[in-house]
Amino acid sequence: MALSKESIGKELTAFPFTIERVKVKEFLSAIGETSPIFHDLQAAQQAGFRDTPVPPTFQTSALFWGYPDFWKDMQSLGIDIKRLLHLKEEYTYHQTLYPGDVLDCRVKVSDVKTGKMDIVTFETVFLREGTPAITALMTIVVPPEVSHG
Amino acid sequence: MDKIPEAGFVFPLYTIGTVSQMDLVRYAGASGDFNPIHNDPEYAREAGLSGTIAHGMLIKAYMGRFLLQHFPLSALSSFSSKFKAMTKPGETIEIHGTVKKNDAANGILILSIEVRNQAGETKATAEAVIRI
Repeated sequence: MALSKESIGKELTAFPFTIERVKVKEFLSAIGETSPIFHDLQAAQQAGFRDTPVPPTFQTSALFWGYPDFWKDMQSLGIDIKRLLHLKEEYTYHQTLYPGDVLDCRVKVSDVKTGKMDIVTFETVFLREGTPAITALMTIVVPPEVSHG
Repeated sequence: MDKIPEAGFVFPLYTIGTVSQMDLVRYAGASGDFNPIHNDPEYAREAGLSGTIAHGMLIKAYMGRFLLQHFPLSALSSFSSKFKAMTKPGETIEIHGTVKKNDAANGILILSIEVRNQAGETKATAEAVIRI
C-alpha cells in the first residue's frame, strides 16, 4: 500500500503502560543521567517531588515497549521502515510522571506529506487518570531512493 | 538558576563524550527501539548507511540532561528537537546552549540547544520552553 494523505487522523492504537521503576532506572543508566532527583528519594522530595520523577524523554520507552506493533503498523501505512529516519520529536509537558503511574497511550497519524520524500507525523498523548501528562509529536522521513542508474 | 539569564546568554559547554556501540545497545534495550539500523551493522549497510547510527532519541536524551543541569524538571514546558545529521559510534559530541528569548512578561525562557561533534558538525538542534 502506498502512503496516502487519507491516513491523516487515523487512530493507530490505544494501549496501557505501567511505568516500572526498574525500567526508569535502566533508562537513566542508558542515557547517563545521574542527577540525584532521579535516583534518591530524599533528594527528589527535597526538590518538591513526591517520588523520584521520570526523566523528560522516557516516554519513548512507553511507546516502543508498549506498542511493539508500531513498526508493522508503519509498514501497513506504506512507510518504508528500512529507510526511515527520525526527523523531529516534539514534547509538551503537562504533568510530572512517576514510577507506578499507569498511562493510557493513544497514537494517531497527525500529518502525512508525500512527494520526493515521505514525511509522517505521529501524535501520542500519554494520559494519566484521564488527563494528558505529555503530548508527543514524532516526525519520520523516508529520504528519496539513491539512484544507481 | 540563581539569576534568570537574558537573551544571548551562552551556557557552559556540556560534553557528552564518545558515543559507543554499547551505548546504542543499552539505549535500544531501555527504550525498546530495536530498529536494526542502530544495532546491526550488516542491516545498516543494506539500508544504505556506512554502519550503525545512534538513535535520534538518545541524542535528545543527552540534550535533556543538559537542560536539567540548569533548570528543574518541573519548569520544563516543551522540548522540540530536529535531527540534522546521523551520529555514528566513535563520534564525540558536545552540547551548546543559548538563551534565545527571555520573555518575562509571559513567564517563559526560550532556549536554543545544539548538539555538535568535535569537528563542529551539527547533529541535532532543539528548542526548549522553560517556565520562570
